[in-house]
Amino acid sequence: MLKPKVISQVLRQASTNGINAALLMNAGGSLLAFAAPSDREARIYAAIAANLWSTYLKSSNSDAAFRNEKQEDDLRLLILPCEEGVVAIAAPSITMLVCLVGDKSVDLGMLKAKIEAVSRHLSEPLEKVASYQQ
Amino acid sequence: MKKKVLLMGKSGSGKTSMRSIIFSNYIARDTRRLGATIDVEHSNLKFLGNLTLNLWDCGGQEAFMENYFASQRDHIFKNVEVLIYVFDVESRDVERDMHYYQSCLEAIMANSREAKIFCLVHKMDLVQEHQREKMYEERCRELRTRSEPLKIETFRTSIWDETLYAAWSTIVHALIPNIRTLESHLNNFCSICDADEVVLFERSTFLVIANAARINHIDAHRFEKISNIIKQFNLGCSRSQTHFKSMEIKGSSFTAFIDVLTNNTYVMVVMSDPSIQPAATLMNINVARKHFEKLAEP
Repeated sequence: MLKPKVISQVLRQASTNGINAALLMNAGGSLLAFAAPSDREARIYAAIAANLWSTYLKSSNSDAAFRNEKQEDDLRLLILPCEEGVVAIAAPSITMLVCLVGDKSVDLGMLKAKIEAVSRHLSEPLEKVASYQQ
Repeated sequence: MKKKVLLMGKSGSGKTSMRSIIFSNYIARDTRRLGATIDVEHSNLKFLGNLTLNLWDCGGQEAFMENYFASQRDHIFKNVEVLIYVFDVESRDVERDMHYYQSCLEAIMANSREAKIFCLVHKMDLVQEHQREKMYEERCRELRTRSEPLKIETFRTSIWDETLYAAWSTIVHALIPNIRTLESHLNNFCSICDADEVVLFERSTFLVIANAARINHIDAHRFEKISNIIKQFNLGCSRSQTHFKSMEIKGSSFTAFIDVLTNNTYVMVVMSDPSIQPAATLMNINVARKHFEKLAEP
């Protein structure tokens, strides 16, 4: 089981220096915990991020199948520079996604390092939880 | 594990009615259709998977009663785990009721010393509201003195409100063998989720099995009310040939989740912290499921 409040704290640690929002959601885009200026924003970010992730995942899978490669090495990290900022999405476990949303000032290397750190930190407990879910 | 439960009381006191409401999904109005029970009606009720209640609904007409105390004495009163004796509060002939009750206790004492005894003062809805408390107290006192040296537990009940659920929940609570472990795990679950309150219900009867709370709630009868409401809702669902699996109720100050936990239980989780996302709670319930399934196995 997860303590939602503890996860929020972890996410809050990541949301510094230009990172506006840090979210943990399930693959469907429902928020589990977040650190963001408002509920509304967090929900919108989560929905868009989950949608993007699933779209890329699908295409990467079909691409791998097309080239007769194994599907194990699928999508790990997405970094999307947008008009008003930059988004990074990663999957700490099969059923979960983390997402960081930063403004333009954020350096991509820093963003990548941060999301990898958060993802690695959460992956063990989340894997454990996933193994209990049917 | 089979547990024998005797349901006794005078004819027309409402034994079969309450059994039908709790275990056979009758609504209170439907009990009018029930006739007198002839001799003993046995029913096996599966409860929490490994626990089976072997309910003996003993018809209360005098001819049968005499029979129980005489020729069938051993058969009826052997290996009883729980005796539930139902009194009609409106009964004119209290002396006779007491006489039968005491014969019953004697037989229990002789055959199953360890049996737990519950007395239900039934049909309380027929007493005027301001007299209920006084009347019930009086009956209780009399029952206690008459039951010496056995310890009894008394309840006031009516099929028209939640008191029936309250009484039966307590009775069932006394029958579940691993109730302590169940309660402590529920407490853990409650604190990990940061929930205000977690309640475990039996799936088919919706009786409360256990609860864990982190805040004090003013309404002591809330579980029974919820049992009652959910059960009505469930009946409504089955009328349209569906089963309800889970629901999420959002109020202005809280969110309540009702979801299947194991094959035999439903869980209700009440959350009041708005910073905790519903998906997180649902996931926690989902994750706890396997753990509680393991607990339920023998």
